[in-house]
Amino acid sequence: MPRYVIERTFPEGLHIPVTAEGAAAIASVVANNADQAVTWVHSYVSEDRKKTFCVYDGPDPEAVRRVAEKNRLPIDRITRVSVLDPYFYR
Amino acid sequence: MDLLERAPHVELLHSLLSSAAAGAGRLLFLGGEAGVGKTSLLRKVAGSSRAPCVLWGTCDPLSTPRPLGPVGDFAERAGREVASLLRREAPRQAVFQALIAALRGGEAPALLVLEDLHWADEATFDLARFLGRRLQQLPALIVASYRIEEAGPRHPLTQVMGDLATSAGVSRARLEPLSVQAVATLASASGMDAGELHRRTGGNPFFVTEVLAGGGGPVPPTVRDAVLARAARLSRSARRTLDAAAILGPRVAPEVLAACAQVEPTTLEECTQAGLLVSDGDSLGFRHELAREALLGSIPGSERCAWHAAALAELERRSAGGLAARAHHADGAEDAMAVLAYAPQAAREAARLRSHREAAAQYARALRFSGALPPVERAALFEARAYECYLTGRFEEALECRRAALALRREAGEQCAVGENLRWMSRLSWFLGRKVDADRHAREAIETLAPLEPGAELAMAWSNLAQLCMLEGDVGEAVRWGEAAIALSRSLRNREIEAHALNNVGTARAQVGEGEGLAGIEQSLRIALEEGLEEHVARAYTNLATSTLSLGDLRRGEPWLREGLVYTTEHDLDAWRLYLLGWRAMAELWSGRWDEAVTAARETLRPPGVSPVSRIQALVALGTVRARRGDPDAAVALDEALGLAVESGEMQRIGPTRIARAEAAWLAGDPELAGVEARACGPEVALKGNPWLIGSRAFWASRAGGPAGVPSRAAPPWRALLAGDPRGAAGAFRERGFPYEAALALSTSGGEADLREALEVFARLGARSAAAMVARQLRALGVRDLPRAPRATTRSNPAGLTTRELEVLDLIAEGLRNAEIGKRLFVSSKTVDHHVSAILGKLGLRTRTEAARWRAANLGAKPDPGSRPPQK
Repeated sequence: MPRYVIERTFPEGLHIPVTAEGAAAIASVVANNADQAVTWVHSYVSEDRKKTFCVYDGPDPEAVRRVAEKNRLPIDRITRVSVLDPYFYR
Repeated sequence: MDLLERAPHVELLHSLLSSAAAGAGRLLFLGGEAGVGKTSLLRKVAGSSRAPCVLWGTCDPLSTPRPLGPVGDFAERAGREVASLLRREAPRQAVFQALIAALRGGEAPALLVLEDLHWADEATFDLARFLGRRLQQLPALIVASYRIEEAGPRHPLTQVMGDLATSAGVSRARLEPLSVQAVATLASASGMDAGELHRRTGGNPFFVTEVLAGGGGPVPPTVRDAVLARAARLSRSARRTLDAAAILGPRVAPEVLAACAQVEPTTLEECTQAGLLVSDGDSLGFRHELAREALLGSIPGSERCAWHAAALAELERRSAGGLAARAHHADGAEDAMAVLAYAPQAAREAARLRSHREAAAQYARALRFSGALPPVERAALFEARAYECYLTGRFEEALECRRAALALRREAGEQCAVGENLRWMSRLSWFLGRKVDADRHAREAIETLAPLEPGAELAMAWSNLAQLCMLEGDVGEAVRWGEAAIALSRSLRNREIEAHALNNVGTARAQVGEGEGLAGIEQSLRIALEEGLEEHVARAYTNLATSTLSLGDLRRGEPWLREGLVYTTEHDLDAWRLYLLGWRAMAELWSGRWDEAVTAARETLRPPGVSPVSRIQALVALGTVRARRGDPDAAVALDEALGLAVESGEMQRIGPTRIARAEAAWLAGDPELAGVEARACGPEVALKGNPWLIGSRAFWASRAGGPAGVPSRAAPPWRALLAGDPRGAAGAFRERGFPYEAALALSTSGGEADLREALEVFARLGARSAAAMVARQLRALGVRDLPRAPRATTRSNPAGLTTRELEVLDLIAEGLRNAEIGKRLFVSSKTVDHHVSAILGKLGLRTRTEAARWRAANLGAKPDPGSRPPQK
């Protein structure tokens, strides 16, 4: 399954409280992703919480877009990536 | 008795029956290894009060099964109409429709079982597909059981399951072998070591019960040994009865069995008392097909032959058994006369019900025994088999048969048949991608037939050559041969050839933009519709749609596309439907509905075994959407498209693929490569006079710099663009319904207002790559008030609804039902269904009333019909 990094911008900042509500929001994203065989691996969030870099596994870019739409998440850019391990070169 | 470890499956079947009772039809593919208990499970559910009406059909394990065998099993129960249609040899479509009507009209819910579907004939597979696509408002649960180990990736059943994979109401379940605990429960009274028994039998319930019935002793190594060990304890005459029963098939009338085995009825009782044979109403059968297979395998070859002869004689004496069964026994008995009597009849019966795979197999069987026949009769068998192979896509075998028939007809000096076989060889060679052979045989056919009295064979030979010329883009020759075929077919009053020839001439003309060409294809369409020539109807819709669309004529092409899709869907003409669906992906792309383009492309690419020519369009659309969105993997799609296009050797496929690649290269910031790709289309003449391709090729070639000529034959919008009139070009593109190309034209102007307009359109479409380029240009002009970054996700549509979904929502708000919405938008009501669930999903609502209310609250009270482009 290809891996993608998805860049997103949240002009108001991204706030997911560590509460039952936050957990439910995350769970619904995960469930929607599963419909399209997409897996959210994890994300990096900028200090000001306005930008995220999300690592996803999915069958193709369209599946990633489809779940983003369902989850009402913005997309700036999708990039297909592979792992480069610096210690592999030692 | 409760079945062990099957409670979840019983529950599943009960819940599916409840849905069916509520009018939401369901189809379940129930898989599991042989002997795992599929039939026991289904019998249990069928015997419960939850299924008031049970229709049970079993597919035969014959080498060549009876066509629509399962329907024959339950026809009487399904009602007078189904039974009488089947008896009267009605077209199978009528049988299918009558079955649907019977399921709708009978006691609900109905449980329809298609047992052992892995052995089905082609017509039965089509029935499963037919029912699976018409589950809406069908108060029935259809369960198709199958052996998982039989259904490999190339098995036709796998194809059927793939075709139905995304249909609403279709699901799969799998029965697993028993756990060691369950085996222990079963073995508790026997004193056997449950762990050992489980390990040896793999937890297979049939194997376990067979061993337990054998009583004590070591566990036999295979299920076959277990069955034979059990049979070995019976009397000699009972053992002989079992052999005869195995030969006679899964179910047999007791008197036939007794006569065939030459035993008394008491011997039959011995077999049933021992539990090896089971009485099922008026017939006897093995407790399980695995037992029959075990016994069949134990009969030595020499005896088998004699058994088959006895079985055939008995069936003939009692006028019993169908044609397929008689052909089967005749074959087993190596009785050439009988095979030649029954196999061709069985083949014709199968062909009539469109079990073409089985028909081809019956002809092959006849041919194996045809050595002593006169050449002309052998030739006829080869020709009949060739036709059935052609219909099932086995072109190589069809060609082999034609070659054999040709030699025999030559030997007999039958010139007319020689010509007909040559014409077929031409067509088959074309399907196999051998264009040189196709052309040579086409001309040989005409040379052979021309000196004879002009007949249908010559008309068809002319039309065939016209078709080859049309596909080559040789308009003059296509018209010349096609007109001759039309004239002759009219004087012969042969409307099928007339429809074929009209289509060839019309398409040849329409492809180069000659308007009267379309009128010719429409005439072909009318004839085909009148005469019910389904394939010709599909071909006419396809050529009307593609010859207009390939010229960039969306306005004329889209209605044909929609009608063609509706027709091919209703008539289950899958190959044509997928080809049109690939073109729908292109049309949606051009219209700026990219989500819909992706949906159509994915739907085209999903089923296994989609023909390459259908894949190409879908891949081009998908790759272009990715390139325009700035998404990864554009090259993955466009590389595959190019590979397939080059393999086809046809410019109508290579040209658009190269042009899509040129655009993608330019968007990726490589104008040099864009020029290379565009020029790889070859010189203008290679584009066969297609003005749209000539224009787009010149435009993309000009992106690489260098002198940009303005080809006089280019389509007007491209010509304006190349001549340095971006606003005029943009207007012409908009007029034709190409918003992206319109913005592309504006983006070449360099003026701030044009660039701003282009940016707005690109942003709305989600064209991140082009938007970024235009934004750069604007910044270079000193413009400062642009949005920080053009955002591909900036959608004008609320709640992430697509344009098409908004259209559907408007119509829901108007109070229309799905069927009416479908009519309004020229899509099937099933497609509307999908849209409605997508809308409800995105809005988080449950009912259409809620959706209508949401629309009123969020988008204004009343949909304004003038706000969207008209849909025809």
